[in-house]
Parts: sequence; C-alpha cells; structure tokens
Amino acid sequence: MKFSQEQMERYSRHIILNEVGVKGQIKLLESKVLIIGTGGLGAPAAMYLAAAGVGTIGLVDADTVELSNLQRQIIHSTKDVGKPKVISGKETINDMNPDVKVMTYHEWVSSANITDIIKDQDYDFIIDGTDNFPAKFLINDACVLLHKPFSHAGIIRFSGQTMTYVPGQGPCYRCVFLNPPAPDLVPSCKEAGVLGVMGGIMGTIQASEAIKYLLGIGDLLTGRLLVFEALDMEFRTVKLASRTNCVVCGENPTLKDLIDYEQRACEL
Amino acid sequence: MRVTIKLFATLREGRFKVENWELPARASVKHVFERLGIKQEEIAIILVNGRDTQVEYELQEGDAISLFPPVGGG
Repeated sequence: MKFSQEQMERYSRHIILNEVGVKGQIKLLESKVLIIGTGGLGAPAAMYLAAAGVGTIGLVDADTVELSNLQRQIIHSTKDVGKPKVISGKETINDMNPDVKVMTYHEWVSSANITDIIKDQDYDFIIDGTDNFPAKFLINDACVLLHKPFSHAGIIRFSGQTMTYVPGQGPCYRCVFLNPPAPDLVPSCKEAGVLGVMGGIMGTIQASEAIKYLLGIGDLLTGRLLVFEALDMEFRTVKLASRTNCVVCGENPTLKDLIDYEQRACEL
Repeated sequence: MRVTIKLFATLREGRFKVENWELPARASVKHVFERLGIKQEEIAIILVNGRDTQVEYELQEGDAISLFPPVGGG
C-alpha cells in the first residue's frame, strides 16, 4: 500500500508517533472494526476510528435518529432526525474521511444474525456500544465463540465502566457479570438519564482500545474494569479474574448456542 | 467493629458515596446488603480492601467494602 500526499498529510500526527509510524497507519487503513450500536458510546467511537483512518467500519443499529438522541449521539445532526442511525452515521463518516469504507447493518443484533454480521467482513475488533444487557451478553458470547476481541462499555447517569476482552488473555464479560440482571432491577438510561459526555468519555476509551489492539501497542483493559465517576472526576481500576468455570470461556464451556435474553418493552 | 462502605454508579442513588458504619462482630457482606436494601443480584463486583470477595465473607475491623453494580446503558 502506498500513501498519497493527501494521506501523508491527513495522518501526519499519527505517523510522527514512533508507536504508529507509516507501518501502523497502513495497518489501521487495512483494519476492520465493527461497532454495535451507534448511540452514546458508538457515535464517538465511530467518529474517532474514522478520523484515525480505520479502513473498514461496520455500523449496526435498527434505530432511527430521534431528537432526544442529539444531546449525546454526536455522529447525528438535527437534519438527520427520522433517518436510520446507520445511514446518518455513514454520511458523517464519509464527510469526515473518504478513506473509510462504511458497512451498514440496519438491524438489532440477535442470536440469529450476530455471527453473520461479525463474519461479514471478518472484523478484527468489535465495539459494544449497545444500551442493554441482553445485547451486551450476546456480543460477549458471540465474540468468545468466534475468538474475536471486543471492548465492552456501559454508561448511566454520571457513571461509566469499560473492559476489553482478548481471547486467551483474561476474563470475558460473563466471567465478571455472570448473567443479565433481572429486567426491572437495573435502570436504563431512558429511565435514569445520562450525562451526554459520558458516551464521549467511555466511547473514546473504547476507540483507544481498538486502535491499541490493532497496532499491538500498550496495555489493554484485559483483566481490568475501568470505572469512571464523573461527579467525583475519578477513574478507578478493578482487577478482574477469569473464571475457570465460566460457561462460555471457561475450561469446560457449556454455552454453545447464543441466547436472546428478555428485553424490557420500554427499551425497544 | 468499624467498616467503610463505598458505593458506585447507580447504587449511590438515594443512598451515599462513602459511609463509616458500626457493625456487630462477625457481620458478613450479606449483612451490608441487607442494611443497604440491595439485592445480591444488583451487585456485580464486591471488593473488600481492593480484593474480589464473596457475599459470605466475614468482615474484619477496618475493612473497606466497595460495591459496583453492572452498568448497561449506552
């Protein structure tokens, strides 16, 4: 792959970094990242990965843009209200960086389609930008079964958490969280609210993890949960251990078929 | 015995961030859950003095208990 003059200039601040360089930038341009959910977390993650020159970005979301999304989902604009989020996201990315090929999947992930979506472009890294536990567990299980690395994150009110799973390098999401909480036990952002920047802070951490993984640099959030409290402006890292008896990544895994957990009606 | 309770994310709702409690000897993490009115399923991670701990753990004088819920929004 040869850089054009324009690309040399566009990525110059990356290329100048010893940890990236021309080689690293080419790696990014040849990489494929799937972002599931183009909401609070997925929007900033997608934009930074697009700006960074990740060559193929997949966007998965069945939703259309609503006015109440615009307080945090910065990939969408006022003119996009009513448009499918994946289309609005694709247009923003195309405007931002013509080097990026955007794949769109205008659907919710489920046990029926997630494997095909991940395999569609044989994505290198997956970002969980979803807003509900059934999807988070589904993404974890699918990624473990397909041996794909992914970044988990969750946000609510003024709080966020994120961890990274890399096959064979530490616990999966299920090792830590076991099963989705009962549908009425934990509030959703719709019910509890969320500070708009929370998606930006946690989503850009997810984008950083993706880039580090693709370049093979630094230490990832494997075996660590990063917990952020915006009101205290405090980050805390919690060490996480793998469970040898984890049903999906443990020594004798029993979970072979993906599960569609029950979803609350208000989240649909 | 005296212990410190630290709550994170949505667990702080209507409760507190940090409190020092006086607990009877041999009280467990479960005892703390009951006093907080929190169901075990609401907690993803229990740390006592920074170490991953189970709900049956018998608390000691001076322990710091940190409780983290799962966070599922996006």
